Order: sequence, then C-alpha cells, then structure tokens
Amino acid sequence: MNRPRSQQIVYWSLVILTLLTLSAPTFVVLGASFTSGNIIQFPPDGFSLKWYAAIIGEQNLRDAFGRSLIVATICVLVSLPTGTLAGIALSKFRIRGANAIQIYLLLPFTIPLIGSGIGLMLAFGDAGILGNLWPIGIATAVINLPFMIWAVSSSAVGLDPDLELAAQSCGAGPVQTFFSVTLPAVAPGVITGSLLMFILSLNEFLVSLLLVDARIVTLPVQIYNSIRSIITPDLAAVSVVFIVVAMLAIAALDKLVGLEIFLKSK
Amino acid sequence: MPIDKTFNRRQLLKTTAAVGAAGAFVASTPSILRAAEPDKPSEIIVRAWGGPWVEALKNGVSDRFTAETGIRVIHDLTEDNEIQPKVWAAVAQGRTPPIHINWDTTTNATKSALRGVCEDLSDLSNIAGTTDLAKPVGVEGYPIVNTYGYVYVLAYRPSAFPDGPPKSYHDLLDPKFKGRLAFYNDGIGFHFPAQVAGGGSLDGIPDAMDPAWEFITKMKAQNPLLGEDPDFVTWFQNGEIDAACTISTNALGAKKNGVDIAWTVPDEGAKFDTDGLWIPKGHSEGDLYWSKAYINSALTKESQQIWLDGLGLPGVVPGLTPPPGMAGDPAYPTKPEDFERLIRISGQVQVENESEWFSKFKTIMQG
Amino acid sequence: MQRSPSSYPLMWRVMDALEAAFAAIWPKGGGKYTPYLMLTPAIVLVGTLVVGLLYIGDSSLRTLDKSTFQFSEFWTLENYVRAFSEPFIFTVVWRSLMGAVIVTIVTLMLAFPYAYVMVRTPNAFLRKFLLIALFLPFFIGQVVRAYGWLIILGNQGIVNDVLGLVGVEPLRLLFNYPAVLFGLVQYMLPFAVLMLAPALTAIPEEIEAAAGSLGASWVETMTHVVLPMAKPGLIGAGLVVLTLSLTDFAMPAILGGGTQDFIANAIYDQFFRTSDQGFGATLALLLIALGSMLVGVVFAVFGAGTLALDGSQK
Repeated sequence: MNRPRSQQIVYWSLVILTLLTLSAPTFVVLGASFTSGNIIQFPPDGFSLKWYAAIIGEQNLRDAFGRSLIVATICVLVSLPTGTLAGIALSKFRIRGANAIQIYLLLPFTIPLIGSGIGLMLAFGDAGILGNLWPIGIATAVINLPFMIWAVSSSAVGLDPDLELAAQSCGAGPVQTFFSVTLPAVAPGVITGSLLMFILSLNEFLVSLLLVDARIVTLPVQIYNSIRSIITPDLAAVSVVFIVVAMLAIAALDKLVGLEIFLKSK
Repeated sequence: MPIDKTFNRRQLLKTTAAVGAAGAFVASTPSILRAAEPDKPSEIIVRAWGGPWVEALKNGVSDRFTAETGIRVIHDLTEDNEIQPKVWAAVAQGRTPPIHINWDTTTNATKSALRGVCEDLSDLSNIAGTTDLAKPVGVEGYPIVNTYGYVYVLAYRPSAFPDGPPKSYHDLLDPKFKGRLAFYNDGIGFHFPAQVAGGGSLDGIPDAMDPAWEFITKMKAQNPLLGEDPDFVTWFQNGEIDAACTISTNALGAKKNGVDIAWTVPDEGAKFDTDGLWIPKGHSEGDLYWSKAYINSALTKESQQIWLDGLGLPGVVPGLTPPPGMAGDPAYPTKPEDFERLIRISGQVQVENESEWFSKFKTIMQG
Repeated sequence: MQRSPSSYPLMWRVMDALEAAFAAIWPKGGGKYTPYLMLTPAIVLVGTLVVGLLYIGDSSLRTLDKSTFQFSEFWTLENYVRAFSEPFIFTVVWRSLMGAVIVTIVTLMLAFPYAYVMVRTPNAFLRKFLLIALFLPFFIGQVVRAYGWLIILGNQGIVNDVLGLVGVEPLRLLFNYPAVLFGLVQYMLPFAVLMLAPALTAIPEEIEAAAGSLGASWVETMTHVVLPMAKPGLIGAGLVVLTLSLTDFAMPAILGGGTQDFIANAIYDQFFRTSDQGFGATLALLLIALGSMLVGVVFAVFGAGTLALDGSQK
C-alpha cells in the first residue's frame, strides 16, 4: 500500500525519535562497560575487558544470577496458568461485575511496589516462608500478573466461539475442547505474556529487596545495592551480559515460534 | 493482625536476653577456658555499606575474624534504612533476623535500641579499652557500640572558589552557585549549621529552630540538588556541583577517583556523628555469642587501624595512627580542641525530632 | 499432529479420565460458573497482595511513639488527618498525578506510530529490528537505565558536549520535572508498544485502503478509522502506563535530583527513613485509592479496552 509522503515523514520522525530514546542508554551502558578507567563514563576512557574479567571472577554474581533464573522460572510457572485462565475468562464471557473484577486484578499496578513489598514481607513472614526463593517467584508473579492477563485477553479477540461449538458437537468434552481449540488460539498471547513475565521477574528489585536475605540475594537486588554505594563499570558489564542473554533468548524465540507472534492477535 | 506484636513478645525477648547474657559471660572469659564455647555457626551475616565501605570493613574486621575463628562472614549490602523494617518485622514476628550484625548510623540504631530490638553489648571485653565516643548517648547500657566518628564537612571544588575555601554557608548564597550545590535529601548534616547561619543558637535545638528554617529557605532559592552518599560522588565526578554538605568519606572517595576536591569546616561549625555496630534480638545462643565476638574484634586496635584507614575516619580506640594526609584534618578530630568547632547533638534528641526536621526540610525544598 | 498408533489409546484414556474427573466435580449446568472458576486462581494470587494490604491497613491506623519507636496499641485516624492537612503531601500527589497523565499521553503519542510502522511494514527485517529495539531496554534494569541518562544528559554529558561544539553553554537538563517525565516515558514505551501492536494488527489494512480510496486523507483515515478501531489497545496501554507511572519510585529518585518526589518516594521516606510505617501505610492506601479511582474513571468513560473484552463486545 502506498502511503502519502507527509505521513511517511511524520511517522518516521516519531519512530526514529522513539528508537533513539529507547536505545541511547543501552549504547551508553554498552560503551561504558569497556572502559579501562575506574568510573562509568561515555565515551569510555580507553578500551579494556577488565570489568568483564572482574565479574566473571565473582562467584557472588554468578550465584545471584542463578537464583534470579530460578525466581523467574517460578514466576512463569505460577503466572502462566493463572493469567491464561483469567485472560480467557475475561475475554470470552460476559461477567457480572466485570469492571470491579478488572479494578481488583489491576491492584498489582495500583499498589506502589514498596507497599506490595512491605505487605508481602509481613504476610510471608507470619506464614514462616521467608528465606526461600519460591515466595519471591510468587511475589514477582503477583506484581506483574496484569501483563500476563492482558497479553492473553488481547490475543483472545480472535478466539471464535463457533470453533469451540464445532469441537463439542464432534464429541469433544470441555477439557479436550479447552486444550485442542481454546488454548492454541490464544497461544501467541500466552507466549508474549510468559516472556514478559520472565524478563520482568528477572529484573525485579524493589519487592525482592524486602523478601531476600543475604543468603538468597538475587541479581537485580545485588545490583541495586551496589548502585547505592558507588557506581562502577562492573555494573555496566553485568548489564551487557544481561543484554547478551536477552539477545540469545530472543534469537531462540525467533527460531522456535517466530518473532511475528508478538504482532498477531489471532 | 497488627504488625507490631512486641508487647505480646516481651516474654520471649526476656528469655533471649537471658540466653544472651549467658553467652556474653562466656565471651568475656579468657580463651584457654573456652571449653564451653557454644557451637560455631558456619557463617554470620554483617550488613554493610557497599563500595569502599565494605572493602574497608572486610580488610579490617571480617577477614581477620574469619582467620581467627573459621567463621565465614557474608556482607549484606542492603542500605541501613532499608534493612530496618526487615529487622523490626522479624523481631516482632519472632523470626530469626535476616542479619547478625548491623553496621548502622548511631541515630538509626538508637531508634532500634529505643524499640528494644537490640541485644545488650555491655559485657564485651574490649569496651574497656575504648574512648567515650564508643558509648551511645541517651540509651541505657550498650545496645549499640559506636565504632568511629565522622564529620559532615563542606566539600567544594577548589577551582570554583579561586579566593580560597568557603568560610561560611553564607558564601554559598552567591548567585553563581545557583543549581551548583548539594545537600542530603533529608537535610541531615545541614540542619545544625543552618541554625547557626540563620542567627540562632545550638541551644535552640530542638525547640527554637526557626533560624534554621529561614536560612534553609534562603538556600532553597539556590536550587540545590538533593541526594544520598553515592549521588555526591557521582555529582562531583560529573561536574554537576561545586559544593556540598556531605560526609568527608564521600569527598575522600571522589578525591581517590581523581576528582579535584577539598573540604572545610565553615564558621557555623559542622555536625559530628558516629556509626556503630549492634546485634538484633532473636538469634540462637551460638550465633549471638559469635556475633558478639565479631563486634569485640572490631574494637581491637589492629582492626580499628585497618578499617578506619580505609574510611579515613577517627576511631574509638586511643593511639591510632591517622591515615595518610588526614592528620590535623578538620574531618579527623582527635583532640578536645578539634571538637570545638564540631556540633554534637544527643542521639535521643535527634531520633525524636528527626522526622519533623526532615519533613520541614522536604516541605521547603519540594515546595 | 502425528501420533504413533500405540499412543492413541493412552491419550484417549488420559483424556477420558480427565473428562470423567471434570464431569464428576463439575455439576451439569454448572457452565454459568465457568468464567468465575477460571478467574479464581488469579483472584487468589492477587489475594496475597490483599492479605498484605490488611497489614498495611492495620499499620495506617496506628501512630508512631517517637520515644519508644513502637506503634500505638489503639486505632486512630490521626495519620489520615495528617495526610490531608500537610501541604507537602498535596504537592507531591498533584505532581505525581499530573506527571502520570502527561507521561501517558506522550507515551501513547510515541508508541502509536512505532507500533503502527512495526505492524504495517512489509519489510520483515525492519519489523524484527523494531521489535528487538523494544525488548533490549527491558534487560537493563530501570536503575541502570536512569544512570545511562545521567551520563547522556549531564552537565558534561554527550548532549551538552554536542551543544558546546556549536557554542551553547552547558544546560541543566537533569534534576527537574521534565527529566523525570522523560525518563518515565522511556521506561513505559516498550510496554505501550507491546500492548498496542496486537490491537493494530487486528485492523485489516483493506479498511484503511478503502477509506483512502473514498477520498479520506491519511490524517482523516487515522482519526476516523484507525484510532477508533485501536481504542481497546490504546485504553489497555494507557491504563498500564498511567498506573505504573503514578506509582513509580526510581525515576523521580534518580532523575529528579531529590527535589521532584512522587508519592511513592514520600512513602519510601516514611517506611525507610523516618521509620513511620503508620504514616507510610496511610499514604500507600491513599495512593491505591487514587489509582483505583483513576482506573474506574477510565473504565466508565472509555470502556475497558483490551483488558476486558467481555462478551458484550462480540
């Protein structure tokens, strides 16, 4: 489809502006990680890999990263079924009091993270489960749950109720209908949502800060605490490692399901 | 369910205190008789500030402690004020606290002491060898042991002050410093000199502090930046500011990173305060015993020397050698006359009024 | 799907067992409860936050005794009276509210063309590039990202270096309200684009072509055809951006230079700096009420967008 030149200009200038805004800090952090000096600066002061050598030698950081992966995995395991069911329910059915339920399910976003953190710390503390990693996984699942619900319900627009009827009239029970017809239809949303949940959980620091102790500290909490003292280039290097891991994850996703999946609502 | 269940738990706390006293008795006996030493934990967790702070503690205290006892020391780098609700909640809920030892500002620690969550440390054998500075003011006994003092100096960039160091906070009201000044975001360290600068007297703290608020209002017109310790270093490094009221350690840190920076105690004086170590209640007998042993070892002359060389601060054990370049520095007071220009207000007055000062400062600065 | 014949019976058996189990616990005609049953896990999960809120609610009714640092044994509304009478709180609430609204509008204005180009471009490589650019910032935490901005926009930062080349004196670009809003927009953009994209994909390109061939200019097509059809996505994205920026803590703390506090920063100060959990809890509850009311207003005015594609929209 041919588009008018004026539209092209307006859109592209906004897109380029957005691209710059999105990517500028990434490039600065990337560059700063290669500095041979002792403070974060851009352009970097000389070139060296010493900050990478420094973080590779850090057993603490590796352990923390491993724990973060566990937390993020638990987060996805919890939020995937929960959010998928809720997303389908909200998009497929007419529900009494839907607005109230929506406001309730948006609580994770309307409660400031510090409030969620303090509340969960007290609740988990009384339940005697602090000191484990899994409550942190659950916590990150709760505070990001609206993303999962949203991702599923937006892809469920394309869910055709006639298909479900057809399956049932062919003799499929409700369970089989759900797994063979409903779930595949919302699969793109489930995948987008799960990936978002994984990333957000992997990066969560404020609520986790209140739920970890020194023995089970996660990587973002470790980074947040280090930043509170003095920001050194090793943190930039850690971020770059994160970016590389992200690239690999995105490449894997592209291979497995194709990135276009994020752009489809059906 | 109330957050605060301490009242229901008084009984429990009494029990733990008794157990603690028994442990301390053992700690104070000579080491040859330590057949009755309680079981060693494999590790203890010490909360510390990151960067150069934890580095200094590790070299001066933690590594030496590990070498002596074989107990591993884990440093928890959570900020002091962020660990506080975690510790309070743990004690209130009768859980084991997340840390064994809190390296804390004396003001913050005093709040915990008043709340009754600190173990008593009066029986540490090395307290006998410390100066008055080690004793916290305004609380019974030793719920906290102060380990060194520090000064909220006026740090400045010499190139911005070609006529010599600023003599007074009034000098900072010069329009050329608009947007080029920094203070702590709760105003800590600046309230008291501001009281003097505004024409008031230190006796007016806490009841007649209008001079301070008037002077801070004048300072607000200069649009200062407000931040925390790391911000000051960053801002000096990035050339964002020309002067700041901050702890000398931050200025020293920036200097070590190659930033041209100096500091002074202005005519109004400078706030002097202390940091300390304390142990939250709720640990097992063995953990408490060895945590006390850790603090006791932090009070030895050897540990103090190495630890405080790293921080550039004056300790609580007599006869320490000042770190290079710090002898005679206004930020390294040792003799009585050094303290004449420093302002020291009791911890109790501070904790009782701090939140009010803080909200007054915020209201002026954020208005 | 290809299955080896031997696995058929097993699959059937499993399916039959599941169906039987389902029928056993699920009474006939219970279908009208299905959506509620499906919502139950999410409601229970969010319930953990509600349990936390009960603790917060209890704290908010107790005042701090500064001679013992214990909280009052009795309940009182003093904290609420204080919250409504301190001018500082009003300043901070107003700043957060205005900030959240501005950030939402700007973010949507930037996210919409980005999502539109990403969805509509025939170039698969460009589409992937735009998607990846969207995902990468997620992996540098908010704090490190904010630090990146300190380097870029600082007095000796890149932008001022460039301005210096053309003889402009260094500008104070940081530590003010616009800097905080800018940081928030940057943080929210990926969320907004990801939420808008599926909604835009759902609009058939032929409809735009039809509008064009009937003589509508592209601006008219946008405002009369695409925007109304993308409404659910815009509302979903808008709500997420609105609530998240209203409750944000890191950007005002880092890019505001300590003078641009949002409500979350005031709450942080009470919890962590003055140890007054009671007043902090009060502020937190007021913020939740404010946020929920905003969400309610948006639902009432615009409908629930992608977040509630309830049956009525079909």
